[in-house]
Amino acid sequence: MRIIIYFLISLWLIFLGVILGDYGPWYFAWLVGTVMIVLISAAGGALMDTQLEEEQQHK
Amino acid sequence: MIVPSETVVELSRWQFAATALYHFLFVPLTLGLSFILAAMETVYVTTGRVIYKEMAQFWGKLFAINFALGVATGLTMEFEFGTNWSFYSHYVGDIFGAPLAIEGLMAFFMESTFVGLMLFGWDRLSKAGHLSVTFLVALGSNLSALWILVANGFMQDPVGATFNPVSQRMELTSFFDLLFSHDAQSKFVHTSIAGYVTGAMFVVTISAWYLSRGRHVEMARRSLRMGALFGVFSVIGVITLGDALGFVAGSAQPTKLAAMEGMWETEPAPAPLKLIAFPSDSEQRNVGPTLELPGVAGILITHSLDKELPGIKELEKRAAERIRNGIPGMLALQRYRENPDDQAALATVREHEEDLGYAMLLMRYAPDLTQATPEQIEQAARDSIPPVWLTFWSFRLMIGLAFLMLIYLIAMATFSLSKQCAAHDFLLKISIWLLPAPFLACELGWLTAELGRQPWTVYEKLPTWISASTHSEAYLYFSLIGFTLIYLVFIVIEMFLMVKFIRQGPAGYGHGLAGGGSGTIQPVLSAPVRHEEA
Repeated sequence: MRIIIYFLISLWLIFLGVILGDYGPWYFAWLVGTVMIVLISAAGGALMDTQLEEEQQHK
Repeated sequence: MIVPSETVVELSRWQFAATALYHFLFVPLTLGLSFILAAMETVYVTTGRVIYKEMAQFWGKLFAINFALGVATGLTMEFEFGTNWSFYSHYVGDIFGAPLAIEGLMAFFMESTFVGLMLFGWDRLSKAGHLSVTFLVALGSNLSALWILVANGFMQDPVGATFNPVSQRMELTSFFDLLFSHDAQSKFVHTSIAGYVTGAMFVVTISAWYLSRGRHVEMARRSLRMGALFGVFSVIGVITLGDALGFVAGSAQPTKLAAMEGMWETEPAPAPLKLIAFPSDSEQRNVGPTLELPGVAGILITHSLDKELPGIKELEKRAAERIRNGIPGMLALQRYRENPDDQAALATVREHEEDLGYAMLLMRYAPDLTQATPEQIEQAARDSIPPVWLTFWSFRLMIGLAFLMLIYLIAMATFSLSKQCAAHDFLLKISIWLLPAPFLACELGWLTAELGRQPWTVYEKLPTWISASTHSEAYLYFSLIGFTLIYLVFIVIEMFLMVKFIRQGPAGYGHGLAGGGSGTIQPVLSAPVRHEEA
């Protein structure tokens, strides 16, 4: 049941994305770009901890 | 119609510029830092490492100080439209009022509510709940900015509205067109992401300052990594989206574009990009040496090789033509006002509707349009060009700062990823001196946008000289001096609090000091410990 709900939500978001991308391409770009920037920044933080752990293991 | 004196208009402009530029010292940091807080908290929630919670709390405290002043100084401006620009508010209030009201609602209901939950909800909300709140703060801040930029977009490129000869005001015809106008869209993304760059520079430069002093090293190196990566992508975005904004302005506001490029004459396509020039507004030419890149401006602005960009002198001739075309329309409007049954007058108004704003430019010199002389028309046409020197150099300096920040953030991100930050002590030490760069770039961006829009409050529809309220000069001197003094006190308090909490650092929290926290006595490579273990 849960997967069907997620599937429907995904479809709805894709539909909204298409509409927004058509009428407001820059708004859409902002939305996608912001999510990407936040995730890259978060991944950079997580990566640092992995790097530090590896460094300690080497030592 | 009673119009304000020239001194009153100038003082009203000074007051608005001062309060707006002051307000925008705080806004970009709110826009950017909120998403950086969300990124930090995302790492905390997904990895359980308590140091990221501590980071979010520390930077969140600085965010809160900044946010409070941003909201307080924004209020002034909302009222200023009515108090100092009453004819403007009367003329376009139907259109401008809607996004302005939504902006107020966003700022006070969504943004402020969630800021409270974010700051005081750490021990009251679940991890996921608090993270959602932090994202909603970021989203609310940026959506609040969206609406004021939609309103500003209308001033730059008035779409979704039409002039109603019966009410003698402009009225909204399509909210959809207003919201999705190209100017509003490109301005929003450019401004919002400029805020991200500001947030990133704030985090990176302060973190570098900590590292250069060996203080709060664990927190600073993580903050620097996250801020630098956030900043690199943001500054690339802000530069490319700035190009998009220039492309939009190229078609919607040719006078602004010509002023930004210091382009007095129409040049063969593709026009060269002037890197350095010294425009003289009085002589209407560039004096002294000029450094140009052939063909670049034409390609950047028109995205083509064969489209010409009109120069200022040609635009002045076009303005003179539109002024002549607007005169019969304005005269017919006056007849229609006296006799609403005069259908012939109404038809003439409709025929010349697009150029009524240009006739208003002329009314500054010829209140009785039937007596307008060719010299007065020429003078009004010359007014249609914004101040070139200021616009040209505001734009150049903003771009210069953007590229400086790009280089800096790429360097910091590279050094951080290769864990070589400590090896670049000089870079860490000079970092704090780069902290003003994003704020300055944002201010210069607004100067370019708003000076370049002159002499209009609403481009080609309503001139600035007619838009202000008819206050006395004494009233405006009093309020301008009053604002200056009050805002000076505000900035002193803000700087005091910021410096105090930055110097103090995150040590006061004491949440994760035993495991990867940011206490000053930790070794640089202390192992991060998950929250559950701490």
